[in-house]
Amino acid sequence: MHGVKRTRVSPEAAEAKRIKEQSKIQAYVALQDDVLASKRAKEYTVEALGKTNQLLDLNPEFYTIWNYRRNILTRGLFPESTPEEIVGLLTGELRMTMAYLRVHPKVYWIWTHRMWCLENVPLGPGESKGWRNEFWKTEFMIVEKLLDADARNFHAWSYRRYVVESLPASFSPARSPADELKYTSKKIESNFSNFSAWHYRTKLLGKSWAEITPEEVADEKDQEFELVTQALWTDPGDQSGWLYHRWLIGHNPSPQVLARELESIQELHKEEPDSKWCMNALAHYHLLSARLASASETDVTKHRAEAKTILERLEVIDEDRKERYRELASHY
Amino acid sequence: MTSAPPLDVPLHVKYIQQLDEKKDLAYHLTEHLRLNGVYWGLTALSIMGHKDALPRDAMVDYVMSCWDDEAADTLPPPPSSGAFGAHPGHDAHIHGTCSGIQILIMQDALDRVDVDRVVKFLLTLVGPDGRVEGDQFGEFDVRFSYIFVMVLSLLGRLDAMDTIYDGKGRQLVVDNIVNSMNFDGAFGSEPGAESHGAMVWVCVASLAILGELDRIDRDLLGWWLSERQLPNGGLNGRPEKLEDVCYSWWNLAALSIIGKLHWINRDKLMAFILGAQDLEGGGIADRPGDWVDVFHTVFGLAGLSLVGYPGLRDIDPLYCMPAEVTDKMGLRRDYRTLPRLEQWPQA
Repeated sequence: MHGVKRTRVSPEAAEAKRIKEQSKIQAYVALQDDVLASKRAKEYTVEALGKTNQLLDLNPEFYTIWNYRRNILTRGLFPESTPEEIVGLLTGELRMTMAYLRVHPKVYWIWTHRMWCLENVPLGPGESKGWRNEFWKTEFMIVEKLLDADARNFHAWSYRRYVVESLPASFSPARSPADELKYTSKKIESNFSNFSAWHYRTKLLGKSWAEITPEEVADEKDQEFELVTQALWTDPGDQSGWLYHRWLIGHNPSPQVLARELESIQELHKEEPDSKWCMNALAHYHLLSARLASASETDVTKHRAEAKTILERLEVIDEDRKERYRELASHY
Repeated sequence: MTSAPPLDVPLHVKYIQQLDEKKDLAYHLTEHLRLNGVYWGLTALSIMGHKDALPRDAMVDYVMSCWDDEAADTLPPPPSSGAFGAHPGHDAHIHGTCSGIQILIMQDALDRVDVDRVVKFLLTLVGPDGRVEGDQFGEFDVRFSYIFVMVLSLLGRLDAMDTIYDGKGRQLVVDNIVNSMNFDGAFGSEPGAESHGAMVWVCVASLAILGELDRIDRDLLGWWLSERQLPNGGLNGRPEKLEDVCYSWWNLAALSIIGKLHWINRDKLMAFILGAQDLEGGGIADRPGDWVDVFHTVFGLAGLSLVGYPGLRDIDPLYCMPAEVTDKMGLRRDYRTLPRLEQWPQA
């Protein structure tokens, strides 16, 4: 049970609730027994499908019933249906799961059933992939709505990636990684704290940067640094931007970029002398600078000393993690 | 030092004993988690040193009643694989199978089950890209990869991974887990997904069981995990999200496996978990003041045990089972817990 406030219930109130629930429980158990009996009897009929509807309305987490439902469709109904009728059945399934997702956006089983439906859309009409394209178009709209409702729902983000990857080649208008990048920009601009969107960005850019020249990558990275710097200055206490900044710097940064970013964060640090995230980044980037192949012996000593000073200060400012800072500082 | 109340062991034992008595509507609506619930209850009791507070034989019989002889519902029969569903009449699934096997091992009753059929069931769930599915309907994520690896290990059958995909089964499963790692050193539910504390635990524990921990950057992951602790002492599962007692297990167990458990504030975390107890009815909630459930109760207790709350039994962070059990089976790996305190609050 997540996030439901506990209330004290008197014994009388508890008893009243129990009695009130009795008829509901009886009806539920009777329906469940009925559906499980049809399942055992391998009844793959329209009537059986209807009964699973009623049961799932009451309990959409009953995975066995979702399984049964799929078996009813593939073993009982699909073999006797025209492609048009199959499309009709699957449309019904999607409508049903959509209604459930509005109430239970984090139930794995519902998402699974939706994906199963999409994978079972037949080719057609005729030789075309028109039906599939129509279905995918709807999915796009739906996933947008779900992410509007909760921009951090990781089921919805995973589903979005799934939809994008699954789009048929014939999908129109074609969906490019650039479109997806624009989508993350929109989400980030409306809330810098949306780490899910920043994360997706690391995946999209990571992929597209593997396909362009180092010069082009450097240009695009500079734009990213600009974007994330805005986030850092807006709220230096928010982890999201700092994590993204660290991704941009990476393990093997160009010395010029590292020096520039170090300087930019030092500026922020002057404004926010007690920002632990600022100091964490500074300590890390100093240590990275000390590791650069181009670093002179003086540079190495200087950067390490800077890092050590910051880590010692962090031990005090961010006491919960003092052991970590102590351990890191002890290396230098 | 802190005003958090001590752990009320007798009350929590009683709470778990009574879980099966309160047959309200919610009880019926959560049947799909019943076998998991029994595992959570038994593990919670074991951590508190009261393993026998629930009758053993009835529990073992219940587990066996969840056996699904038609696992994978193959057409045509006869089925050669078998596994556990969440409750009698429910379909076999890797999640129920996980709890079923864990309970049978904790109750020393593994001889009741046909291990070969379980192994066969598990092997059918591995996809060509190394993903592991929950059942034949194709849902997959790294939680199932963990269960696959962990249960095979408990059954002493990790070598069965080498019998699939031309001997590459093990490598495929490991690579799929490693591909779920992100730049922050943490793991998401599948390749491409955002890092999440629960996914970190299942991935780190899988790799530890398989002896592949060198695929992890411990400093980087330890940083991400230690930043899950919020000023109120509780841990969250992702950046900029709310704290929740269950992350006291996911994140802590992962920290313990990579040897960085001391990177968070133990006392504040203990106080947070203790503050989430229901001191009238028993049990632990996701956060102070919320309704309790057995899921948060076991993971709260398991977290308290890892960080050394006095009087609790040791828990193995790879298996979420009493260390006494996994040690006896020779499964112990190199993990670090915090020294057990003499008393709470400390003098």
